[in-house]
Amino acid sequence: MSDTLVDIKKVVKEFHTGKVAVQALRGVDLVVKTGDFMAIVGPSGSGKTTLLNIIGALDIPTGGSVNLFDRNLSELSRKDRADLRLHQLGFVFQAYNLVPVLTARENVEFVLELQGEGNGRETTALATLESLGLADLADRRPTEMSGGQQQRVAVARAVASKPKLVLADEPTANLDSENAETLLKMMRDLRDTHDMTFVFSTHDPLVVSYASRVVTLRDGVVVSDEQRNGDEIGED
Amino acid sequence: MSSSLVSKFALRSLGRNIRRTILSVAGVGIGCTVALFLTAFVRGSNELRIRSIADSGFGHARIAPATWEKQRDNDLRLQNGVRDLAVLQGTEGVKVAAPHSRITALLAFGTRVIGVEMLGVDPQMEALLNRVVRTVSEGRYLRADDRDAVVIGSVIADRLEVTIDDDLFMTVVDHAGQMQYAMVRIVGIAHTGSKELDTGICHISLDDVERLTGYAGSAEISITFDDPLSIDEMVAQIEGELPTGDIILPWNEVLRAQGGDAASDQGFMRLLSIIVVVVVILGITSAQLTAMLERRREFAVLMALGMKDLQVIRLVTIEALVLGLMGAVAGLLLATPLVYYTATNGIDFSAMVEGDFAIEGVLFDPILYTDLGYWMVPHALIIAIVSTLVSALYPAWFAIRTDPTSALSLREA
Repeated sequence: MSDTLVDIKKVVKEFHTGKVAVQALRGVDLVVKTGDFMAIVGPSGSGKTTLLNIIGALDIPTGGSVNLFDRNLSELSRKDRADLRLHQLGFVFQAYNLVPVLTARENVEFVLELQGEGNGRETTALATLESLGLADLADRRPTEMSGGQQQRVAVARAVASKPKLVLADEPTANLDSENAETLLKMMRDLRDTHDMTFVFSTHDPLVVSYASRVVTLRDGVVVSDEQRNGDEIGED
Repeated sequence: MSSSLVSKFALRSLGRNIRRTILSVAGVGIGCTVALFLTAFVRGSNELRIRSIADSGFGHARIAPATWEKQRDNDLRLQNGVRDLAVLQGTEGVKVAAPHSRITALLAFGTRVIGVEMLGVDPQMEALLNRVVRTVSEGRYLRADDRDAVVIGSVIADRLEVTIDDDLFMTVVDHAGQMQYAMVRIVGIAHTGSKELDTGICHISLDDVERLTGYAGSAEISITFDDPLSIDEMVAQIEGELPTGDIILPWNEVLRAQGGDAASDQGFMRLLSIIVVVVVILGITSAQLTAMLERRREFAVLMALGMKDLQVIRLVTIEALVLGLMGAVAGLLLATPLVYYTATNGIDFSAMVEGDFAIEGVLFDPILYTDLGYWMVPHALIIAIVSTLVSALYPAWFAIRTDPTSALSLREA
């Protein structure tokens, strides 16, 4: 398999509000490669979330082509897309979105159960939490954790099954700068140690400062795609 | 091995809104209670009907000539009465087999005349079968060695103005169509409490009927079984063993109006139960749907993470199943004392029927006892679980239709 995880060509996404058609994406070209630590930035309404939905196989484009892990997204059924999300992708949401009635360990374990993992899932979940320094939170429910802790558990949930690509939607939006930095370092370490790829949609300059690649969207079009060298990263 | 997190998730979700869960369980429980009580009432009324019919001399079933079902003619006689009786005596579970014959007669005393349908009986067997025997409060019932003796109802006695040991002039038509006459002595007068029944009771021995009419043998054999709940099975068993020419009919085919009444009673109560269950289903659907709406983001996130439709349905179904189980327990806890009270004290309909409750020659007990039994447990479970599972269908469909893209669109923490 090539190091291209996502190959987007001339993607158009149109939404209909009553009789009015709105183009959220207007011919986007983008390639996500293994090891990218990519921030998608742009003003509100620029199409960041729509693009993330398409990269995450949550939605399909109106036009153009999207190849995810060498599979044509438009040809995948609803079930195939769910399979793809479950086995190849990890998600981190702005609002953490942990299951409130499950503990941190159970939240991580839950995705493993959905994947069909059997007896080993509890061990895997605990090992993941431990590797991210969250072992002491294992038996706490989301309501017993701070926002920062919840978001780190959400990262643990996203990466427990070692997905190739993790999508994070405004992951630091509800965190203070200290927690945001801890989270970003954690994700960057995961990229470095487990060869994972991260794509963020963000407004946060701190996230941008950590990104190895910054894609700027405006009015549904990619206006810049900046690859950054090591010296620039973490210094904005 | 760790237990299923989907199940744990479902169970704990019920604890999120305790008030709604309690109300849902109460709704299922009350629905269950009403359905259980209605069913206990119908089962009790059915038991009362079968017992009353059997005790009124009709038995649980009847052996009759094969042509009786169409002709219903008193002149018909069993083709193999003796062999029929032998079959019944050799069949385990048969409690009483009482042969009968029926003739139309005129009874006269002085200038007063009354027309009756006389029942020819085997006095010993009849005493085991027919509660009328126990209502003979003047004189006595027939004995095996009685000849030209008769037991009549109190209304007949009043109309003829006769009493014990009076001789009645009896006129019948024999098998050749000739009038036959006999004097019969009144040995007993029955007071059933029902005017209708006391107008029709006129028992005479089978031998006297045979001698007077020339018709040999009996016209029917009324049968009761040890277990009134196994009538259909017993009828099927005996049916296979009877010699040709005679048939066995269950009570509801002998007394078709009673059978029809029983079926319509059951149908009506079943309809009421269904209405109750539908109301419960609508209530629970509404509550479950509200719960799903509140958890829309959660389902969107789960779908985004890759949860499949079947896994979502399983989650919603487990929640419904647990609700159903709790509702069944609540229903049993509420219904059991109610059914127990009415099963032990009965529901007295005397005031409604003014003490005279006879239909089609069947004397009914005005006190109905509901049926308390272990049947209530599976019944409650089926009602509660089926209604909650049906209630979960729409919320489950709603949950799997959740658009996973909304997981990323919902930004508020």
